[in-house]
Amino acid sequence: MANYLVTSARLAGYSPGDVVSDADLEGSNIDALIEAGHISTQTPKKPAKPKDIETEE
Amino acid sequence: MATSVYLSNPNVTINSVVLQDQCRSATLNYVYEQLETTSFGDTARKFGGSSVTSLQNNSIELELYQSYAASETEATIYGLVGIQTTIILAPATGAASATNPIYTLTGAYLESHTPINASLGELSTITLTFTGGTLTKAVS
Repeated sequence: MANYLVTSARLAGYSPGDVVSDADLEGSNIDALIEAGHISTQTPKKPAKPKDIETEE
Repeated sequence: MATSVYLSNPNVTINSVVLQDQCRSATLNYVYEQLETTSFGDTARKFGGSSVTSLQNNSIELELYQSYAASETEATIYGLVGIQTTIILAPATGAASATNPIYTLTGAYLESHTPINASLGELSTITLTFTGGTLTKAVS
């Protein structure tokens, strides 16, 4: 099952930034949605963990 | 007398993309092909019957304002030519109900599209005809 990032405000029932699966888009042509810029194969990246900064005294 | 006047927010969704604000007319034709079942002894033509099921031959015609902006009409429609998709039409947005039936045409085929339909001084529109597919009606 593939996931897609919603990239436009026109995808029915979703907002930009949501993640949808191909099951959510059943009956729709996913290639056309990607080509039109409504979804992207790029899924959201997790925020990087902050690095611990050690200070020398 | 109850009638329907489309002045507000019909639901028009093409390939999961909401385009109601670009749509100015929508026509859904729900058709079962006519099969003749007239036989000897009949005095008039007959078509269909309780045990005869013909093929659906549905179509949807939509007139949309053309827009070349990102995620708008042209971007959404261009990639649908020559393939099947799903179209959803309803008299209003919101949940399906007896007074707001939601019609879904699954497997509809778009044969052609007119990317440029321009006349001086007029808003550009496109007319799309989706054919085929299976129609379902949801009322709840």
